[in-house]
Amino acid sequence: MSMLVCNVSLGALSKGIVDGIAFLGEMFPPDFSALPDMIYPAVETIMISFLATFFGALLSFFFALAGASNISPMWLKSISRFFMATERALPEIIIILLLVAALGLGPFPGVIALAIGCIGMLGRLFSDAIEEVNAKTIESVQSAGATKIQVIQYVIIPEILPSLISNTLFRFEVNTRLSVLLGAVGAGGIGYEIFYSFQLLEYERATTAILVVLLLVFMSERVSDYFRKKILSNTKLK
Amino acid sequence: MSLVIDHPYLIPSERLKKRAFIFSVLAIIVIGLSIILDLNPLLFFTDGHHLINLLGEMVPPNVDILWEKKSIFSSILETLAMAFLGTCFGGGIALGIAFLAATNTSPHPVFRFIFRGLMSIERVIPKLVIILVFVIAVGLGPFAGMLTLTIGTIGMFGKLFADAIEEVDPEPVEATYATGASKLQVIKYCIIPQVLPSFTANLFYAFDVNLRSAIGLGIFGGGGIGFEIHMAMKMLRYKDALALILFTIILISIFEKFSDYLRAQILNEQTLK
Repeated sequence: MSMLVCNVSLGALSKGIVDGIAFLGEMFPPDFSALPDMIYPAVETIMISFLATFFGALLSFFFALAGASNISPMWLKSISRFFMATERALPEIIIILLLVAALGLGPFPGVIALAIGCIGMLGRLFSDAIEEVNAKTIESVQSAGATKIQVIQYVIIPEILPSLISNTLFRFEVNTRLSVLLGAVGAGGIGYEIFYSFQLLEYERATTAILVVLLLVFMSERVSDYFRKKILSNTKLK
Repeated sequence: MSLVIDHPYLIPSERLKKRAFIFSVLAIIVIGLSIILDLNPLLFFTDGHHLINLLGEMVPPNVDILWEKKSIFSSILETLAMAFLGTCFGGGIALGIAFLAATNTSPHPVFRFIFRGLMSIERVIPKLVIILVFVIAVGLGPFAGMLTLTIGTIGMFGKLFADAIEEVDPEPVEATYATGASKLQVIKYCIIPQVLPSFTANLFYAFDVNLRSAIGLGIFGGGGIGFEIHMAMKMLRYKDALALILFTIILISIFEKFSDYLRAQILNEQTLK
């Protein structure tokens, strides 16, 4: 039945494959003369995803504190957890549609959308990490007369810092991929270049943009992998 | 008697210096990038009234649209069908490829090299590009979205499946070989029963992931509920859009819970045996 809904047909597919291959032929060779135009959008994409990861991690940290059962009261915890679950169910692309409608085009709504998009995933992971902090450590610091803020500063942050950083680095990778997609709806960056090259039927130019994206995604993966491994090995030694 | 203040505790410690260094570098990068991108975090608060205005226009959600407009129902079906078929076909193909790509079942190392390479290339290509190519090849509509999801599922879950096959306990495999079984028989009687639970559990997860991306793909020509939301936003019918967004959130949450439940069920059965 779902085949009918999707208009699946082998005829269309077999014709589509021929068309598709013919079309892929049009995408080659990549138009490298457009490369200088791609550099700024590519850098912009990285900047968007970096800033979004930074602000997003910061925001998620507060949501995580509010959502961890061992430091925040029950009512705050339920509110924060509910918010994070709702956010996880909301695709980033819809957040950006809302923000573009409200704030206009440009990198600004992109950064905000991705930063909000972080809260669902990072907030959840952080608050789970906070809940796993040894209760005895917290209690012993509290019995020394520490206030809640001091507990957070001297127990929680040092304990969860490695997992916090490695999750944030992973999210940076995800954000780089997403910012390509979001660019096409108006956040600027390299995604916008791809989408508009397709719309203007300049497929060879689009191929160049795609290659740049592959490079970006690959590099962000390497960089985040490298730092994650370094952090993990550091914490093991201590 | 002079007062000596070169007390060692007053000198900033190495750790503090290091921390201050990291913080200041981070702060400089963030502030610098914000300036380059012309991004002022305070704008979020000063421009907040735009957001509040928008939200004001969106409330109350026009829930009636869910049953008044016939196309909404079919577009929801389209999204679900896209995700379902993408998972089925992608999962099926990924399964086949996984056997070719895993070291212990692959007929030849060349296959392993080729398929692993193809899958890792696929994982790097953004979905946006794949859907744009498919829209040109087979036209707008859920069929293009379905094909995109199929390809995405192959790339992501083919690797997971292949890794699962490689992690199979080698002793039963050897024992089956020792009875004179052919490679196909070993796969059928020894490897498949071992990896089946993790495959099914992963497929439920794949459906979850695909449902989310099906909504995003709708905007770029995949049809379905994502397209309806995009259209409602473009035509400034914000009340309709909010109703659809709320509906999407509920839909995704339900499927997430459902797939979590089934996954836990399957994996529990596995550990009990």
